[in-house]
Amino acid sequence: MEINWFTIAIGATAAVVLLFRDWRLTFAALLLNYLAQALFLAQQRFVPPDLAIFGLELSTLVFVKLITGVAVTLILGITALTFSREYGLENLDEFGLAELRRAARAAQRQRASAPFQFSDYVVPFWAGVLALMASLALPRIYPIGPSAAVDFAWYWLTLIGLLTIATATDLLKIGLGLLLCTSAIDLLYVAVVSAPEASGLNVVPLVLLSLINVLLALAVAYLSGLLYGRLKTLELSELYRR
Amino acid sequence: MAYLLLIFFPVTMAASTFVLRRRTGLVIFAALGTVLAQLLIATQIPVDAPTRFLGITLTLSPLNRVFLLLFLTIGGFAMVGAWHLPHGENFVPIALLTLSQVCTVLLLQDPFITTLLLAATGLTAVLAIVDLPAGASNLVGTRAIAAALKYLVLMTVAAVLMYIAFVLTDIYRPGELPERISPARFILALLTVGFALRLALIPFHTWLTDLVDYAEPLVAALIITLLNTASLLVLILVFQSFPTLLLESEGAHGVMRLGAIVSVLVGGLLAVGPAPLRRTLAYLILYGSGMVFYGLASVSSIGLAGAIFGALNQTLAVTLLFVSLGLLERPDGRPPGVVRRDLLRRWPVAGSGLLVGGLALIGLPPLNGAMSQLLIYQAAAERGWIELLPLLLSTLFAGLGLARVASERLLGPAEETTPEEPLLLWEIELDRPAQRRLEPEPRSTAALTLVLLLLCLGIGLYPQPLLATIDEAIRELAFIRAL
Repeated sequence: MEINWFTIAIGATAAVVLLFRDWRLTFAALLLNYLAQALFLAQQRFVPPDLAIFGLELSTLVFVKLITGVAVTLILGITALTFSREYGLENLDEFGLAELRRAARAAQRQRASAPFQFSDYVVPFWAGVLALMASLALPRIYPIGPSAAVDFAWYWLTLIGLLTIATATDLLKIGLGLLLCTSAIDLLYVAVVSAPEASGLNVVPLVLLSLINVLLALAVAYLSGLLYGRLKTLELSELYRR
Repeated sequence: MAYLLLIFFPVTMAASTFVLRRRTGLVIFAALGTVLAQLLIATQIPVDAPTRFLGITLTLSPLNRVFLLLFLTIGGFAMVGAWHLPHGENFVPIALLTLSQVCTVLLLQDPFITTLLLAATGLTAVLAIVDLPAGASNLVGTRAIAAALKYLVLMTVAAVLMYIAFVLTDIYRPGELPERISPARFILALLTVGFALRLALIPFHTWLTDLVDYAEPLVAALIITLLNTASLLVLILVFQSFPTLLLESEGAHGVMRLGAIVSVLVGGLLAVGPAPLRRTLAYLILYGSGMVFYGLASVSSIGLAGAIFGALNQTLAVTLLFVSLGLLERPDGRPPGVVRRDLLRRWPVAGSGLLVGGLALIGLPPLNGAMSQLLIYQAAAERGWIELLPLLLSTLFAGLGLARVASERLLGPAEETTPEEPLLLWEIELDRPAQRRLEPEPRSTAALTLVLLLLCLGIGLYPQPLLATIDEAIRELAFIRAL
């Protein structure tokens, strides 16, 4: 059986998103995931190439995927880098300012009392193992795409996306899970609908899919900014505690 | 050209109103003008005359035309309501953007694009949920952020499920691969869960209760009326486009009906239990959504007519409920922080609006919900008393829930009875604190409530024109003929 390295890259980067908590690591993994998907699309040639760059024949779709990935990662990355800035404090009354100070102290306490623990990674790890088993089995039980590699990639991305949402402890991680899920349907749509027996690809859904990815990143960034501005933390436990 | 105007004119106006968003009055007038222009454009679009744009077919069916006009009218009502009711700084641009997206959904036939547009409407709505008024001195509530996050996650998951289902329908050929699990059932299951999330059917309903609890009433009204009803129309389009899904999964209809009955019954039961005003309204809406879904899941012409007419009535009733709720929650000049029980006396128009909206939702004659509920009961009766009885029981529970909330918040005795005390020695009139002036109901919003109330009553008394249009539309639906 031939090994498809791009599928492995998609799997490994998605696994990093599921397992790790540090946004610097997970955002880099997300960008690499989009890159791996673009290269996978270029390799599989679901869409005939219409561009020649440095002697390589590529489809525009590959670039659309790359640009989407870069845009999404930039939006989330810039948001994460600017969390420490304060916005709109000039309109707040004394009560609001006092509440912010209280939230900052609570967040500081929470960070101090939550050191690194391996036990935090147990549930995501075993969830990932289950997703791996399911993603290896489902392409045999219920093949949908034109090849086993395609089926593995989209099943894996969907399951890892859903499990990332289920095991997330902060808002950005939920956003990453949602983005993995939308990437999965993007891949499935391109692979399946471009098949000869299908209706054929249309440019509008492809554009809209990329737009939804970017809008989703914007919505997650906006909510993260709001939450951090309000509670000085992105932890979901703090959000649901009050 | 009219199609493009209908889609892009509100987008450009949304951008303009976003720039001017701090000038509330001007922005509301501009938005109202936009909605009126949209209504004019919508009436100019010929029915069933498809046109192609960027490889996509745009067409307006008679049924979608009714809902298009209804949605634009609701948009106009929301703008009028925004004059006095609390709303966020970006409410008007978001409402215009949502109207544009919903109009596009109604014009399209492509399931892939409609699914993505529905997802986009969800993302737009998230911004409205956490929106604060211009220059607000308070912080956005953590519960509002949590509600927005829940809505974002569930709507994206719904879109993913629906999209996977549509990709499968693209390659699915009936009768192929008989040894495998029928793809029709799998697709139908994906679609059912996806649309159940969007329509807030129990147990996929938690976003709606949070939304009603923590979002501004106008925002909740727009999301529940425009987005949920548009989702229902998309579901009908899906059944129309892929009738084999229903034909090949006979047993699945029963499961869908059972799900709808559970949703209706639990919604009614929850409404009876002790709950605050907003939460009770959310439960009544859940009950109404379940009834509409039962009509659709009955896959009969009577049930479908009831579902479509029910969705239309629910749109009006929910708008009336939330406009009235917004009015009732306004500061009225009395000390804040006290749960008032005399809201009908204090705000007669808003109190009546809330009562009539609730009664219309549970289908009490002569209000608009009565005829649609009757059609749904008739569809249930065709299946036997075992399906009719839970629906009737749920209506009874929902009615009891409405009666409970009315007795707790609306029908209590007047509370501002402070007896006039005689002047004390050496005291003169000027020494006394000024009499508290109680605010009257804002005229424009009270007029809006009355218009909605009269619409509910008018449609209830004379439903024939709308029913005739719905019947005609249903006759053209292939899946109903096939079943």
